[in-house]
Amino acid sequence: MRVPISWLREYAAIPADDAAITERLAMLGFPVAEAESRPTLSGVVTGRIVGLEKHPNADRLQVGRVDVGAGEPLTIATAATNVAEGQVIAVATVGAQLPALRIERRTMRGVVSHGMMISAEELALPAEWFEDGILQLDQTTPLGADVVELFGLASDVLDVEITANRPDATSVVGLARELAASYGVPLHLPRLRDSYDEPEPTGEAPRVALQSTDCHRFVAQRFDGLHVRPSPAWMRIRLALAGQRPINNAVDVSNYVMLETGQPLHFYDASRIRGGTLTVRSAHEGEKIVTLDGAARSLSPLSLVIADDREPLCLAGLMGSASSEVTHSTSAIVVEAANFSGARIRRMSGALGLRTEASARHEKSPAPALTNFGAARAAQLLTEIGAIAYPPRAFGAEIATSPPVRLPLRDVERLLGLTIERERIARHLAALGCTVEPAGGDALAVTAPAWRRDLGIAADLIEEIARIEGYDTIEAVEPSVPPHHISSAAFDRERALAHALEGLGYREIVTHSLCGSAESDVAVEVRNPLSEEHRFLRASLVPGILDYFAANGEVRVFEIGEVFRRENEDVGERTALGFGFLSHRDAARPWKDDAFLRLRGDCETLLRRVTGRAMDASPGDGRHFHPGKRARLTIDGRDVGELGCIDPRTSRALGLTENAYVCLIDVGALPPYATPLYRPPSRFPSTYRDVALVVRADVSARDVERAVAAAAGPSCTGVRAFDEYRGPQVGAGQKSLAVRVTLQRFDTTITDEEADAAVAAILAALGERFGATIRT
Amino acid sequence: MTQLTQLLAELQERFGADADAAIGEQALENVRVAYLGRNGEVTKIRRTIGTLPAAERPGAGKAINDAVAAMEERLKAAQAAVESRAVDAELAASIDVTFPAIAPAAGSIHPVRRIIEESCDYFMRHGFAVVVGPEAEPDYYNFDALNIPSDHPSRESFDSFWLTDSVLLRPHTSPMQIRTMQEHRPPIAIVAPGKCFRRDALDARHLFQFHQVEGLLVADDIHFGHLKGMLTGLCRELFGSGQRVRFRPSYFPFTEPSAEVDTTCPKCRGESAEGRCSLCGGSGWIELGGAGMVHPNVLREVGYDPDVYSGWAFGFGVERLGLARYRVDDIRRFISSEPDFLAQLS
Repeated sequence: MRVPISWLREYAAIPADDAAITERLAMLGFPVAEAESRPTLSGVVTGRIVGLEKHPNADRLQVGRVDVGAGEPLTIATAATNVAEGQVIAVATVGAQLPALRIERRTMRGVVSHGMMISAEELALPAEWFEDGILQLDQTTPLGADVVELFGLASDVLDVEITANRPDATSVVGLARELAASYGVPLHLPRLRDSYDEPEPTGEAPRVALQSTDCHRFVAQRFDGLHVRPSPAWMRIRLALAGQRPINNAVDVSNYVMLETGQPLHFYDASRIRGGTLTVRSAHEGEKIVTLDGAARSLSPLSLVIADDREPLCLAGLMGSASSEVTHSTSAIVVEAANFSGARIRRMSGALGLRTEASARHEKSPAPALTNFGAARAAQLLTEIGAIAYPPRAFGAEIATSPPVRLPLRDVERLLGLTIERERIARHLAALGCTVEPAGGDALAVTAPAWRRDLGIAADLIEEIARIEGYDTIEAVEPSVPPHHISSAAFDRERALAHALEGLGYREIVTHSLCGSAESDVAVEVRNPLSEEHRFLRASLVPGILDYFAANGEVRVFEIGEVFRRENEDVGERTALGFGFLSHRDAARPWKDDAFLRLRGDCETLLRRVTGRAMDASPGDGRHFHPGKRARLTIDGRDVGELGCIDPRTSRALGLTENAYVCLIDVGALPPYATPLYRPPSRFPSTYRDVALVVRADVSARDVERAVAAAAGPSCTGVRAFDEYRGPQVGAGQKSLAVRVTLQRFDTTITDEEADAAVAAILAALGERFGATIRT
Repeated sequence: MTQLTQLLAELQERFGADADAAIGEQALENVRVAYLGRNGEVTKIRRTIGTLPAAERPGAGKAINDAVAAMEERLKAAQAAVESRAVDAELAASIDVTFPAIAPAAGSIHPVRRIIEESCDYFMRHGFAVVVGPEAEPDYYNFDALNIPSDHPSRESFDSFWLTDSVLLRPHTSPMQIRTMQEHRPPIAIVAPGKCFRRDALDARHLFQFHQVEGLLVADDIHFGHLKGMLTGLCRELFGSGQRVRFRPSYFPFTEPSAEVDTTCPKCRGESAEGRCSLCGGSGWIELGGAGMVHPNVLREVGYDPDVYSGWAFGFGVERLGLARYRVDDIRRFISSEPDFLAQLS
């Protein structure tokens, strides 16, 4: 909300400069998004044109004599055409500083001009919102007054952010009240018209029919004898400073009161209300309205309207119709100060794509009591411009006073950690409009003011006390946290994985959880995506990692994040880990892939470090992978993930010139850490034998290793296949495999005879099991 | 006998010459094998002992052994010379120590994780546990249990991605408050880091996918001063010991009193002249997130008596912290994770 500080100061003598007020508002919970400082202006005074004649030497100039309250009238030449004798205007005197120029005595075609008659633009007001030419002031304006001071043109204009719970503070009076309470100065409310002792006018008073429970209260008041014309200068300038374009003296009152009190108003041309009754109801399907902005809108029952006997005259809380607009020929109006359901207005506003200053206020569900305040203020201002007021009529709910809230004083200290005297607490609350009474024991009974709906419990009041006392008066202390049994295991596990991968030379990335393609028929779809590229939740980390490779080339990366799939009507979610790298394509040996083995090595190291256990790999079936280069990973027989070379068709489609190798771990499936136990080494030396065999190509190295270990007997401490060869020397469908067997005993040194016997047993077993032959 | 003596003398002389001529350890070893090895020259001579008269044999044996001892002595000297030459040669080397280093395959954790871990470490040192939970959450945990009934205007500020009628991607990590409090009785002392989603259009300051660190402390006699104490400590942990923290009143349905938390702009320290600091816009403060005392309705929802227990909660945006901490110019860099970005911040 745009708030000129000069307007705030009208209601409270705030003993602080603009910068301090800006800071204080933030510390009261009303941060200032922008403080707009006004340009330096000086030497501009009010004056009356007491004489005007044509310039003797220039057709387009006139020479005026302007009475500025003291001394001889000033002779001032002007090129403006809207000047006339008797007008009260703003005059920049010699020495005046305007935004773009400094005023000097000046000879214009032989006439010495002692100043300049000025327009709104020279006062740094939006020129297009004011009359062409010289700014016209009211006849009642004192002459010789400083214009900058008179109209508050020097103070900053603040763009204040107001939280959703404070519709009452979405107003100049509301913010002034906060500042008055904070600085401990009295608040002076604007004049209201709330008594009607003269005889009532004889015309027809407005009738209102509430046909929707979404209109809680409707204050209607008729005014006759209105002369629609421009508002007085002070109001036009103030509205312009607050960012509202002045329109005419009726519409301006409506906007002024909304800004001042927070209560949106709507003015109807009384002559356009056919039948004389305003009905608040839901729109009929397909009903039409042309709103003030010129848009023709087709309505649905979602919209709440205020209608006469024939058609809607207003979209409740949003905007009126062009047909019932106040125009220059209007002489009687009906003022609406209504309270609607904030939720209804919000839905309407969303559905119609129409958001106004009024709807923004209604959406926050201001207190119904505000209707009386707004109506009475409008009545005052309309009376001041000569309108004849009928007494207001209220429809709907009466203003209910909220029950007092019991505020135990120990709770103030318990929640804030701040000791504040009882009297001080009472004073803070009273300054905000609360009624404070003793409530037995060490407690107060606090009744919230009618305009506040957010003070329903003790904690709400405690926040008010803290705000006025100042959050910065609360001392920062470290709590001593009592012991508890909440586990950090899941976080620790993720952290261990991340750091182990960091150690293995992988960089962590974060990619988008939302992607553009469904990927699988169990993909979870977002109902209200921001764009097509972010319509689905990822079911796997693979596409994100591949996209990263495509964008960034050769890097070793990992990501830990949630992946999703539809499970019946529910959303299934798991924590996944993916890591991998790119490696060049090697077509020379289709039966061997070192990149795959490096990835598996990293995975084994990772899982051993994190789980303390050995991982096992066997041929897999993961859908992302090359059909001949993929493995499923298990620990203690349970699936924990998969790895392999990404299907080269996928890589090529992404424009990758290398193959991608990716390992995927289901983090939740990893078993808890198993602490390894130390086994002292044998004191006796070990020995080894290398065995070279020829087996069928489809016999896996792991099966050979296991068979070797089983056949070698209890002194076998290690078996490892270390070389593989396929080619003409071993024949089609066969492969040569070299296996090293390590033998060691704890009680004595292995003899050559024992080692040879073990090899013989191994060869016999392999021959029987796989038809293996010794390679010669 | 004299013939043998002469033979041995000649042999020693040849051996000495060969040993001196040998360059390197391998050449010297070859010389040793040729003379002293199993089938070397000495062995050949030793085999001739059998042809001598018995009385001469002991003398001959001794003469051979003496010659071998002398040759071994000579060999040692030669070995020492060779080694010394090798060491001298090695010591003669001299490299350019400023030549670019050979880098290992450098791994790193993402800056988001680093901030989360450092934040969590700070809280863990103070006795907090770290809990993590799902990103797709029912509206009950996201809103209802947090005192945000449907139609509450502040649901608007959590513009969310909906997956079903009642399940959405969490717009904040606060569901973990409810999950933890439902599972445990007080005291509760947790931090909950994690990914969140809001329907914000992507730009230099906004992500629709971001991370939060949430904290919750509920016990007897926990007050706002404790909140200030812990968050001030956190900011000093992340930004340095001089860091100041400001609490401004604000509004959140799930806390009362509520606060916005700001910390001194680490870039300009509030001293940018008439303010065009690219980080804080000249205000001297950067916004970290919201905080406050847990609303009594939230405590009641999980079966805690608000007259007995009190507590505070906070939620900070991790990428926002990252912008300030690492002076990152565009928040989208956290999600594009380009190699250079990761390398610079690792």
